[in-house]
Amino acid sequence: MTSPYIAARGLGKSFNGKPVLADVSFTVEPGDVVGVLGKNGAGKTTLLELVLGFTPATAGAVQFFGYDSYRLPGAAKARIGFVPQQDELVNQLTAADQIGVIASFYPRWDDDLVGRLSREWEVDLNQRVKNMSVGQRQKLSILLGLGHKPDVLILDEPVASLDPVARRQFLEQIIEVASDGNRSVVFSSHIVSDVERLANKIWILKDQRMYWQGDFDSLKDSIVRVHARATRPLPDSFAIPNALNMQRNGTTATAIVQGWRAEMHDGLAQQLEAEIEVEQLTLEDIFLELHR
Amino acid sequence: MFILKPHSGVPIYRQLLEQIRRMAASGQLPPGTELPSIRDLALKHAINPMTVSKVYTLLEAEGVLERNRGKPMTVAKPARTQSPHDKRLEQLEPHVEQVALAARQLELTEKDAVKALQEAWEKTDDEPLHRRTRPR
Repeated sequence: MTSPYIAARGLGKSFNGKPVLADVSFTVEPGDVVGVLGKNGAGKTTLLELVLGFTPATAGAVQFFGYDSYRLPGAAKARIGFVPQQDELVNQLTAADQIGVIASFYPRWDDDLVGRLSREWEVDLNQRVKNMSVGQRQKLSILLGLGHKPDVLILDEPVASLDPVARRQFLEQIIEVASDGNRSVVFSSHIVSDVERLANKIWILKDQRMYWQGDFDSLKDSIVRVHARATRPLPDSFAIPNALNMQRNGTTATAIVQGWRAEMHDGLAQQLEAEIEVEQLTLEDIFLELHR
Repeated sequence: MFILKPHSGVPIYRQLLEQIRRMAASGQLPPGTELPSIRDLALKHAINPMTVSKVYTLLEAEGVLERNRGKPMTVAKPARTQSPHDKRLEQLEPHVEQVALAARQLELTEKDAVKALQEAWEKTDDEPLHRRTRPR
């Protein structure tokens, strides 16, 4: 049993007594690709900043490589890559100089990897950062997070400004990292379809809390849309267990059910004297339904 | 080789699992066929390599695939995978049920549904999926 790279317990953060994140617990194991979902303001960035030790927690604790993340030694920091939502590039530098500055901090820096990716991603190394488009800046910022081959790569909305081609190239790079089996990725994104492709674990933040977390496959199996069709009008007392919301219309009803298990199908059909159809949802549907 | 739709309600691992299982059962992937490496398949479809790895492991446990040290996974020998006609038919059942149900809900006739299935049957015949996986 390997120990997790990241382990948080009861993690919370308040500003002036107002909670921005409360009672969050999770682990990130070697090889995990974690997709972090949440509406704007749900606490995604705060969560990532706590993990990275940029800000002290006001409740609970988070351990990174076994250390308190707020007191992370330099050697542990060198094993982490971070791509912030707002890039921290220096406008006056050329892309090549910017890369050189960051590379100088890391003994493990991989010049070949960064050179190859900057060609493939069409990042002009001679261009000054201030003259770059938002997308170019984002690509450069991702390169800087990858160059030292971190064991854990953390990305906050990394693809917001990338075109579909660049996004696919980015995804391929994440797959390369994940193929290693011992490196992990944690990324927040509003592009649900990317999360759908890549993540094996999902964290859904809602109202400053961890609303749902777990294995992605079990998320798709456990939150489903159930259609019930009865032969006669449904009684007023009609209810589907664990329904998040339900719409009824005469003899039919549709509900989003959490915690669905395949064996519930027959019992429900008998109990309700209705025909039951179970529809599996896309991640985007699940996300929208959880926020209704 | 496979058709994977990440943006579908069916988890990706299950799509891949069922396709390999079906193709091995039908002989479309004959015994000894080499499967792509985990990394290559993950890159080709832009999916998590752990998903592919999970599918290969499950299919190995079922006896559908064989792991070979330092070499690609292969489809296991016929005795274990070429399931009888009835068994294969059984695997098709849930899919056909879905079609029948959808047709009823759309208030189509049995004839409509059978015709649509026939058309789909013909359409899939020249799909690359079919061609590429035939033994060379």
